[in-house]
Amino acid sequence: MNLANMTDYHHFPIYSVMVLFLGAFIIAACGSKPSKDPKNPAGFRAWIALCATALSLFFLGSLVKPVMLEGEIISYWMGSRAIAGGYAIGIAMEVDALSLFFALLIATAVFVSAIYSIRYMVHDECVPQYYVLYCMLAGGVLGLVLSGDIFNMFIMVEILTFAAVALTSFRTKVYGALEAAFKYLVVGCMGSTAILTGVIMLYAQYHTLNLAQLANLIPGTMNNATKLAFAFLYIGFSTKAFIVPFHPLAADAHGAAPASISVLISGVLTKSGIYGIIRLTYFLFQTMNLGSMQFMLVFIGSISMFVCVTMALAQHDFKRLLAYHSISQIGYVLAAVGLSTSLGISAGLYHAMNHTLFKGLLFLAAGAVLHETGTTDLGKLGGLSKKMPHTTVLFLIGAFSISGVPPFNGFASKWMIYQATYQKAVESNNIGFLLVTVIALVTSTLTLASFVKVSQSVFFGQMPKEYENVKEVPFGMRLAMGILACLCIVTGLFPKTVTGVLTEPAARAVANVGEYITAMGFKSNLPAPNVTFAQVGVWEPINWLLILCIALLALTIVAVAGKYDRVSERTEDDTVDTKYQLFYGGEKNVYSQVGGGDLFWGFKHNWRHYFDFMHNLHSGIVNDYALWAVVALALAIVYMMIVL
Amino acid sequence: MTANIFLNGLQYLGYILIFPGFLFCFLCGMLLVGIDRKLVARMQKRVGPPILQPFYDFFKLCGKETIVPAAAERTTFLVAPIVGLAALVVIQLFIPIHGFTAFSGMADIIVILYLLLIPALAAILGAAASGSPYAGIGLSREMVTIIACELPLVLVLLAVAKTVGNALGTGLCFSMSEIAEYQLQNGSLITKLSMIPAAIAFAMVIPGETGSHPFDTAEAETEICEGMHAEYSGAPLAVFKLSHAVKVLTLTSLFVALFFGGIGTGIIAFDGVIVFALCVVATALFISFVHAVTARLKIEQVFKYYWTVVSGLALVSLVLAWYGM
Amino acid sequence: MFKKLIAESTAKSPWLFHINSGSCNGCDIELVAVLTPRYDVERLGFKLAGSPRQADIVVVTGPVTRQSLDRVLSAISQVPEPRCIVTMGSCPQSGNVFKGSYSVCAPLSKYVHVDVDIAGCAPKPEAIMDGLVKATEILKQKRGQK
Repeated sequence: MNLANMTDYHHFPIYSVMVLFLGAFIIAACGSKPSKDPKNPAGFRAWIALCATALSLFFLGSLVKPVMLEGEIISYWMGSRAIAGGYAIGIAMEVDALSLFFALLIATAVFVSAIYSIRYMVHDECVPQYYVLYCMLAGGVLGLVLSGDIFNMFIMVEILTFAAVALTSFRTKVYGALEAAFKYLVVGCMGSTAILTGVIMLYAQYHTLNLAQLANLIPGTMNNATKLAFAFLYIGFSTKAFIVPFHPLAADAHGAAPASISVLISGVLTKSGIYGIIRLTYFLFQTMNLGSMQFMLVFIGSISMFVCVTMALAQHDFKRLLAYHSISQIGYVLAAVGLSTSLGISAGLYHAMNHTLFKGLLFLAAGAVLHETGTTDLGKLGGLSKKMPHTTVLFLIGAFSISGVPPFNGFASKWMIYQATYQKAVESNNIGFLLVTVIALVTSTLTLASFVKVSQSVFFGQMPKEYENVKEVPFGMRLAMGILACLCIVTGLFPKTVTGVLTEPAARAVANVGEYITAMGFKSNLPAPNVTFAQVGVWEPINWLLILCIALLALTIVAVAGKYDRVSERTEDDTVDTKYQLFYGGEKNVYSQVGGGDLFWGFKHNWRHYFDFMHNLHSGIVNDYALWAVVALALAIVYMMIVL
Repeated sequence: MTANIFLNGLQYLGYILIFPGFLFCFLCGMLLVGIDRKLVARMQKRVGPPILQPFYDFFKLCGKETIVPAAAERTTFLVAPIVGLAALVVIQLFIPIHGFTAFSGMADIIVILYLLLIPALAAILGAAASGSPYAGIGLSREMVTIIACELPLVLVLLAVAKTVGNALGTGLCFSMSEIAEYQLQNGSLITKLSMIPAAIAFAMVIPGETGSHPFDTAEAETEICEGMHAEYSGAPLAVFKLSHAVKVLTLTSLFVALFFGGIGTGIIAFDGVIVFALCVVATALFISFVHAVTARLKIEQVFKYYWTVVSGLALVSLVLAWYGM
Repeated sequence: MFKKLIAESTAKSPWLFHINSGSCNGCDIELVAVLTPRYDVERLGFKLAGSPRQADIVVVTGPVTRQSLDRVLSAISQVPEPRCIVTMGSCPQSGNVFKGSYSVCAPLSKYVHVDVDIAGCAPKPEAIMDGLVKATEILKQKRGQK
């Protein structure tokens, strides 16, 4: 093999996965002796992990041109064992725009989180092992989305679940870490087993594991066993996406895991679940033209959206709150993808990308708070904006993005989701989809409320005495957050470019299953569809921002001319002047922070019965959650048997 | 060519700074609030303050000392009011006046709904940055009021979009200028049966969004010391008072543009006056009158009211619009 | 021009902050009476502010009990300049019938500079309005000096 052959971009998908596993292997081979540098206990191993993730991102980034822009589908047979006798016998990788889209998201999140980890993982034991697991997790997810083989997908699910469970319980001294890992292990294994069962049932019938070939064979030959397999696979991937009813696991896992791992669990693992569901429903079984399947995905998506946002409002821990929001946003993605319109898929994928960016940013901000103060309890924090100004700004960018405040990226994608659902409602003349629009709009406001709660409880308000010596986090951590914040702003300001380059090719790939099958060397008579991405609404963020800037400039000139900034402030030596104390009805200043879990009691009071019900439902007992999984599986089987 | 660009730029700058931007917002918003205060006083058999009172208040506050409390986060505390005001004025540029829109084709009704969040968010962050517990309670109530108003507003706007879309044959219409255009051709939307409950619901939302009686729980001066503005003094407070005035103008003119469009002459100066006159009527009916006859509600009552009565009305409208009435 | 405008406006929009320093509530009721339709002090631009940060005129009633002295002083110190301090009723001026009590610190003028005294127990609304208008003139003067 010569160099020219090796640098052929058709090899890049396998390189991008291999480099991560290789990184894991090298780090593990280097032993577990911590380095002497207190700022980086993993020493050069951290740099190996960083290089591996950077390389992986580079390989995938260079695929954007051929796959996204030119529409090529890369099919890759390991060891050149291609089709024999009409059956795929080798292990295949198939990278279409959809795979690459998810792979890029994953690689970005993994890379940024690796930058963050170097300065973040300093107080822990066994940091070298952390990077081994980290690279395995990253490689597992990447392998999952790039694989063209359903059994390989299962293997990757196993690898990533194993790594994710270990990383969840990485801080064994944190209260609840082992319990969370155990819950995740139990339900995650049920999910993996479900996937394996589904795979076995498919293999028994069709004698192939290749995705493209299965997609060619299954539609039209659906029998009860296939439907059963579909239900098993669907539930299996649902557990990976943590959508309802598997959301409580996410909350526990995020709460206990280090922040850099929370980023991966929320930004990367859930995406793998969504990817699996899209592959199943659109490609393998091609059931998305059925109203009943659309109903199922949109319904579960809407439920996830609303239930998890209300659960988040009831949380009093920063990271658990973020975890529930994570699932709520995944609900948006699922509902949009389930619409089965091109605009819907494009919007859903756009939101999936934004979710990775802003949720990563928020988790990193939570990690920064934890790093400096040692707690994420909303009731104990307050007033950190004075000590950590950069983190505060970065957090606010993330918070505005997730709450759909224009012109950040969350708004751009949610805005497309509103349109897609409404258009679907009009096209199908089904008022049910309109309800989804309403739920999505209201959920967005509730998300905003939740993040107002966080900013008031953590970054604004009054600072408890014990945080007087809190400092800004190290530059490496701020850099990671800064990258994500910039991406949040850029993807929000240029929605047309982003959708044109990334999500619309992916949505086209979803619509064009025939090409996916033929690219792998099988014959398909599925016609190439006509895809349009017409939107009814208009939103020009750049122009709006320009006008706002002019308005702000005009106001600033007036303000400066009017000496707006000439204010009376307390001077350094003057500490007792009551003039600069807060007004407490004349009383002496005491620490009194309004914040914490119950900030919006005016809202919660009206929904108290609902919240009581939810509180009782989420018992925190793993048996209950396992039972939920079984019930969900049973319901899915019954539903599939009836409607398919 | 360059002269042309220069002139265009000047024109847009004129839109932003004079009409319907800053100057128009400043004068008309303040006048609306002045008229409101006068009307409330007259309804309570008082003489009431002069109509120019909000201007006096504004300039007085500009001349006062600005105190930044030691517990406050200075930058956010001072910048928040300015950002809120600028965002509000920009929204005003997207709202059509008869057939004229300063900047059309940039944002539509749902976007405007979300742009309306920015001023509220700025006020909330400013309040949070002040560190005062009164402000904390105030911002909690403000946020709940926003959630409360959001559902009926969303339903109303979706109903409008559906009604106009039905009439135009596209099924859906989010564009503000198309809605204005439609009303120019076919008369005001209020004449449609399905739009009457929507108009009433929107009218009920106006006092909630602007924070006037009986929904002014967030600024309840008698119980939580002006709530969100508890620590604000001097010029930043003046900007907040101005923002409140502009918000009254924005919401009433949005109401007029959505339901009473198509009333006008085609000459911008006259139309501006007509729209302003309609805004005054809307303010008088939905803010002043309601203010004079009600007492402040509790926050959970505000929420309940909006999510049951007002949302119910809006939902009726949406269902009627869906079935093409 | 703006300076003149601001000075004019200062006289036309005085906001009151009311501190009760242990009053019997007689004066407080009279102060509220001034806002009623019969007297309607709002026609002169007066308004009750909820927070001292927004006030121009501080109205103190009651004999300044030892318990309330610190609170009164700190609330007054939180009012931004230019401000005007008005005592209302006889209590904060002399201590009235409580004079000599171990728990009363009146007069208030021992601790801060008082601009206007409105005498009476309790003062008539007309007297209160007269005093408040005098206070606005002082405010305008203070504004002009700056």
